[in-house]
Order: sequence, then structure tokens, then C-alpha cells
Amino acid sequence: MIEINNLTKKFDDFTAVDHLNLKISTGEFFGLLGPNGAGKTTTISMMSSVLLPTEGEILIDGKKLDRKASAEKRKLSVITQEYSMRQDMTMDEVMEYQGRLYYLPRKVIRERSAELLEFAGLLEYRRRTVRHLSGGMKRKLMICRALLIEPEILLLDEPTAGMDALSRRQMWNLLRKLNGSSMTIILTTHYIEEAQALCDRVALINRGKLQKLDTPQALIRELGEFAVDETNEDTLSTHYFHNREEAIEYLKSAGPQAALRAATLEDVFVDCAGRKITQG
Amino acid sequence: MGIVTVLWEKWVEFRRDFYKITVAAMISPLMYLIIFGMGIQTTSHGEPYLHFLIPGVVAMATMTGSFSAIAQNMSVQRLYEKALDQVMVSPTPLWQFILGQVIGGSLRGLYAGGIILLLTLPIRTDLTFNALSVFIMFLNGTVFATIALVLSFLAKSYTDAPRFTSYIIMPMSFLCNTFFSTEQMPNGFRQVISLLPLSQSCDMIRSIANGGEPGIFGFLVLAAYLLVFGLLSFWFIYKKKNL
Repeated sequence: MIEINNLTKKFDDFTAVDHLNLKISTGEFFGLLGPNGAGKTTTISMMSSVLLPTEGEILIDGKKLDRKASAEKRKLSVITQEYSMRQDMTMDEVMEYQGRLYYLPRKVIRERSAELLEFAGLLEYRRRTVRHLSGGMKRKLMICRALLIEPEILLLDEPTAGMDALSRRQMWNLLRKLNGSSMTIILTTHYIEEAQALCDRVALINRGKLQKLDTPQALIRELGEFAVDETNEDTLSTHYFHNREEAIEYLKSAGPQAALRAATLEDVFVDCAGRKITQG
Repeated sequence: MGIVTVLWEKWVEFRRDFYKITVAAMISPLMYLIIFGMGIQTTSHGEPYLHFLIPGVVAMATMTGSFSAIAQNMSVQRLYEKALDQVMVSPTPLWQFILGQVIGGSLRGLYAGGIILLLTLPIRTDLTFNALSVFIMFLNGTVFATIALVLSFLAKSYTDAPRFTSYIIMPMSFLCNTFFSTEQMPNGFRQVISLLPLSQSCDMIRSIANGGEPGIFGFLVLAAYLLVFGLLSFWFIYKKKNL
């Protein structure tokens, strides 16, 4: 169980995360969504103790996470948005360094590294330095590195950014498999369909504040499961309805450019983020 | 265990850049020895100037070797590669990471100083270098590795590292008892310069080289720097909110 209590992070006068409260159960697949600058990466950075909060605390299984909490940090692995690796190390060295930092025996490091690099299709490039890898290969290497230590909690900050559609689907399958083995996964993503497909619950945050927290289905139900997109000149507006009849009724009265469809988590996101932007 | 991991990382780096590190460690000190010691042949205190110069250049090489091994590397790891995040997230105790960096940096300084000793071996000087000299070189390296760590935690961009070298290492190289004795400096300035760590390291290595014994004061000065900058680096890594 991860508890985030009153978590706040300020950078001078700017509040990136504002009194955030969350409880994430063991084995849960949890999504953290929000527009650019919402405070997702800052939250993940505090959950990995790279940044320290200005206020509040993070508890892992009831114990406070800080930079001294070795036992709690042992449970965590992070895939950051940026390629946080030594650029002059080879893939093998990156994996060995990670294994050593987590006190894995060298035999285990070698065996698991080979398995993971093979799985990611990177084994033949294992002696290549990070600086000579493509963006997609670096991303895969970061995933291999994070999984090397078999964490109980996996923090993923935009893990599929820059991946092609096929690699992204492979990644989804891998994450589902990992979550199936009771690993707690916390994901931030810009791909809302990714969160809808994978997450048990999602938190929508904007300007550091929690806006909504529920299952994707419940959030969609709350907004209205039926959406009518209406195009007027240059603008697209969407209207949401809780039942099909109301939506069809509206569609009939709307112009020929209107269309009915099922609402998605993206609609919830746009509605939430858009409303906040409008409110200024 | 964490210390061994950091030393392994330093070894990987050393093995990969062996030629670059070795050549970089040799060039400046060798130039100083050739120009000031052999080119401009003078005497100091009735002795060939080279006798004065070699211990100073050895101390200077340990300083630059250990400082540059940490300052540049840590700044890049923290600000550009973000590779420090990998360590911060891991269960390896951060004090062990700091200690590993300091020992690793100091060993690089010792390597740089050792190269100068090897290069000056063919010159008949009758200077003495013993285990205590090596210990002082190591201690000097730990001081400058720790200073480098603190500065790299303070750096706002990875281009700050060369600036720190210009502001700190370059003036110390020339002023701290390396090329000329601090005794010749004006009152006031002399006392300040003599309290800098390189002045003390030069003085102690030179005392041993000339058959004497280093005073306890030099060790105390180096220990004080090590303590202050060591505590600062622990504070930064454990307490700085936005590292």
C-alpha cells in the first residue's frame, strides 16, 4: 500500500504539486493523468525520493519514504521520462551497475540481464554504448534495467513516449503481465487510451491538484457515456449524455456535421483539463 | 558494498578512458617540470630548483587528478545524463555512494601523482618518497574529491565544472607552495595561502622528500577540509530538496 498524504512541492513561488492525497493498493495499476505541467513527473520524482517534498509525506507499507529508507527503496523501480543512464556505459554495464546498486549477486545479474535484453530484442547490441543507441532502444533498455531488480512497485513516467505503435502494444502486454503477477504499477502518460486500457483507477491532476479519482469506467459514466461531436465552422464542441435516447434526440436537432459515439477517458480528461483552462 | 559498486563504476570508466586519463594526467605536470625545472635551470635554497619543484608537482597532480575525476563527471551525471537519479532511487546508502566517490576520486589523484613519480625516476635527485608520501597524496586526493563533489552538487549547468577549475584549481596550482615557497609572499596573504590544502600537502611531501618529517599541523588542516566538505556533501545528498 502506498499512501500519499498532503504531498506538496514548491519551486520558489511555483507550486508544482498542491496537497495531493492518494492511496494506492498493493497490486493496483494506477494512472496519473494531467496536461503538461500538471505535476505528474514531480509527483513521480518525489515517490522515488529524487525530489524531496516541501510538505507532506509518502508512506510505503506504512513506512515513510525518504533518501535513507533503503528497505522501502528496495521495493521501488522507476522508468523516468528522460533517459537517466550513463551515456558512456555499454548495455551490459548499465545492467550490471543497476544490479550492483540493488545488491544482486553477479550470477543473477548476468542471467536476468541476458533474459531481459533477449526479450527486448537488444541482446545483440549488449556491448554497444548507450550514446550509440536509438531513442526506442534506450527506452527499452530503461525498462530492462527497471525490471532487473524484480520490484514490487514500478513507477513509470511516460514509458511509451517516442515508441512506435507496435512497440507500445508490446509494452502494454508486458505491463499487464507484470501487474498480473501482483506488481503495483503507477503510470503517467500522455496517451489517454493507454491509461484507459491498462489502469484500474486513474487520478486526474491539474496544476498540482487532484481533480478526479476513480476507475476509468466510473469517470466516463459520471461525464456521460454518450458523446455527440458537433462541428460548427472551425470549432468542434462535444456534448455528453447519460443515456442513448437523449443523445439521439440531441443528434437529430443538431446539424449534419454532428456524430454520436461512445465517450472515452480522453473526453473526461479534455473536459476536466479544458474546464480548468477556461476557468483560468 | 555500495562503496565497491561505486569503485567498480570508476574502474569501468578508468578502463575505458585509460589512454585519455593517462595522457591528461601527464601533460601539464610534465610541461612544468620541463620548462621550470629543466629549461630554466635555477637554484632554490642552494639546491637545484627541480628538487623543490618535483614534490610540488606531485601534490598538484594528485589535486587535479582527483578533482577532475569527480567534478566533471558528477556534474554531467547529475545535470545532463540524470544518471545520479539511478543511484538516488536505489537502496544503496547514499553515504556509501559519497565515500565511494571520494575514494575513487582520490585513487585517480594517486594515479596521476604516481605517473609523475615514475616520470621523474630517471632524474637523479636523491629525493625520498615513501609510504607516508603516498598516504599524504591519497589524503590530498580525498580533500579535493570531496570539494569537487560539493561543487558538482552546487553546479547549475554542466559547463560550471570547467569554471570551478579556473576559479579554484588554477590559482591553487600556482600559489600553493608548488612553484615557489609561500615564505616569499606578503604578510597576511601568506597566512591565508598557507592554510589552503595544497600548500600543506606540498609542504608535507617536500619535507619527506628532503629527508625530514611532516608536522602534525598539515594533517590537521587536510582533515579539517575533509570533514567540512564531507559533511557538506552528505547534507547535499540527503537533504537538498531539488538535487
